[in-house]
Amino acid sequence: MSVLEALRVAWSGLAANRLRSGLTMLGILIGVGAVILLVAVGNGASAAVQQQIQALGSNLIVVFPGSATSGGVQQGFGSASTLTMADVQALQNRQNAPDVAAAIPNTQGRAQVTYASQNWATSLTGTTQDFPSVRNYQVAEGQFFSANQVAADAKVVVLGATVAQNLFPGGQDPIGQSVFINRQAFQVIGVLAPKGTSGFTNQDDFVAVPITSAWAYLLGGRNTNVQQIYVEARSQQAMQAAQSEVTDTLLQTHHISDPSQADFQVLNQADILNTASQATQILTILLGAIAAISLVVGGIGIMNIMLVTVTERTREIGIRKAIGARRSDVLLQFLIESMFLSAVGGVLGIVVGALGAAILPHLITGLTTVVSLPSVLLAFGVSVGIGLFFGIYPANRAARLNPIEALRYE
Amino acid sequence: MITLEGVTKVYRMGKVEVPALRGVDLHVDEGEFVAIIGASGSGKSTLMNILGCLDVPTGGRYVLQGIDVAELDDNQLALVRNRLVGFVFQSFNLIPRVSAVHNVEMPLIYSGIRRDRRARALAALEAVGLGDRAEHQPSELSGGQQQRVAIARALITDPAILLADEPTGNLDTESSRDIMRLFVELNREGRTVILITHEPDIAAYAQRVVRLRDGLIVADERSPAAAHVPEGGWR
Ligand SMILES: Nc1ncnc2c1ncn2[C@@H]1O[C@H](COP(=O)(O)OP(=O)(O)OP(=O)(O)O)[C@@H](O)[C@H]1O
Ligand SMILES: [Mg+2]
Repeated sequence: MSVLEALRVAWSGLAANRLRSGLTMLGILIGVGAVILLVAVGNGASAAVQQQIQALGSNLIVVFPGSATSGGVQQGFGSASTLTMADVQALQNRQNAPDVAAAIPNTQGRAQVTYASQNWATSLTGTTQDFPSVRNYQVAEGQFFSANQVAADAKVVVLGATVAQNLFPGGQDPIGQSVFINRQAFQVIGVLAPKGTSGFTNQDDFVAVPITSAWAYLLGGRNTNVQQIYVEARSQQAMQAAQSEVTDTLLQTHHISDPSQADFQVLNQADILNTASQATQILTILLGAIAAISLVVGGIGIMNIMLVTVTERTREIGIRKAIGARRSDVLLQFLIESMFLSAVGGVLGIVVGALGAAILPHLITGLTTVVSLPSVLLAFGVSVGIGLFFGIYPANRAARLNPIEALRYE
Repeated sequence: MITLEGVTKVYRMGKVEVPALRGVDLHVDEGEFVAIIGASGSGKSTLMNILGCLDVPTGGRYVLQGIDVAELDDNQLALVRNRLVGFVFQSFNLIPRVSAVHNVEMPLIYSGIRRDRRARALAALEAVGLGDRAEHQPSELSGGQQQRVAIARALITDPAILLADEPTGNLDTESSRDIMRLFVELNREGRTVILITHEPDIAAYAQRVVRLRDGLIVADERSPAAAHVPEGGWR
């Protein structure tokens, strides 16, 4: 009997038991759909994190305070205050670091910004004049603060697009207006162009002030530390050179001779990405594992149904053998039946999973999904494999029956 | 064509052994029409299942067209069931929820024949007078019609031997007569027909009557000609 014939025989067997065939398929459908959807959610999360990191700027190197450990990033960044403005200045020196285009300090805090009756809670960035170029921001109105303003602790502020919208909802020109940041009056001198959302973070919801003013007026005047230094390399090709120049320069300014004793860490985007994607990969694996369990349950459902089918159709098997079906014919018929169930269930599951992945982000804000081809292929392959694996036992049992015993079965 | 030498069959049920056949010698020539009769439990069905290669004897030899059946493997036995013998059961044994014509077609599927399959199945149904019931499922047919579908199925591969285990056991007198006329016709065409029956007037269609008792042949009588020669069609 050819495979085509076997397909036909299997098809008529399935068509004769529509409801049961449908329910069995449903089990596989849900399993495969869950795998596709949950892996898409996991992939979406890691894509969001990647975007967020890439959005930091191009050719970016970040210097964190604190000792380098093998664990890397999970050591509380910014906890130790080993970075200073002197370090930033050393990095800006062409002699020390010819491949560095610009270096800016970064200090973060919370800010309550008010204008007239408007009130907005946002994050505060203390930095220097090169912030727009290093972090890829455009100034939409007015201008960014200058080196002089940084040197003079000027009480000036540049608003992120979201902050500007919320403080000046009527569309007035913010430039030149006085706003209060944590009860201190600052003059608005510029508004940044919107950059959009990356992942869960709105990149336009912050205000930037000279780091010196942040120290003097906003962070309680207690410290003058730099939480991170962002360094922009001259080009993508210069990244590696720039990274080692940064390390050497800082070792020098910190008077450390043994690089393993460094009290700072120099990471490029790839490093940060790696660490972050390790975390999101764990998430994806976890979600995938949950979904895989439901796929296995679906597979056991197939085996269950095929066993019931074989028992219930024992007489039919006897009849088929009595009119000349060989062992392999019966085996093939039941194997194809179970594989057909799981393959069709798998395809429908892929469709449902992909649809779910398309719809879900509209229902839950901030959630992104990415359906990946490998997960689709894997889920489909696994579902067909499940059909094969869980079908073999019942099919073999059917095929081995002696015709007269099968016929006598009630 | 068919030779049995000292064939025995013992069913084992746990520790109890049930001897169903206790040494049967039988020779059937090509073109014979044999009826096997005997009391219930005398071993008729057991014998028939062995003749049809649905079951294997415990002892003795079964030679079918010169081949010792004991030497055939699983696939060869399937081939014998497919090509050499057609089997008709008392309980029809059609595959449920499958159309009549597809049921008839089934042996051809297993013999790997593709050409004209549907046409041959339809012709076979036509020959048993059921051309207009091709698309009916077994549950939509009467007992007599189902048995005729089963006969069409047994004949579709054109086997030399037709075996029937109480083919009229579940049918009324009228349908029984139709079926028997069909068998006589088939025998006239040269097929070897062996059938089991309880009823003497059914046995009377045969040229030879073999009587079983307690797993042994106790009588083997030939009548010069079949008592009831069917006149005209059986429709
Ligand atoms: N599968 C089986 N297991 C155990 N014993 C069996 C089996 N099949 C038949 N027998 C026994 O073998 C003997 C012969 O049975 P068989 O079915 O051949 O009788 P039969 O002549 O066809 O009877 P009937 O006219 O009632 O159909 C009986 O005693 C029966 O109980
Ligand atoms: Mg019987």
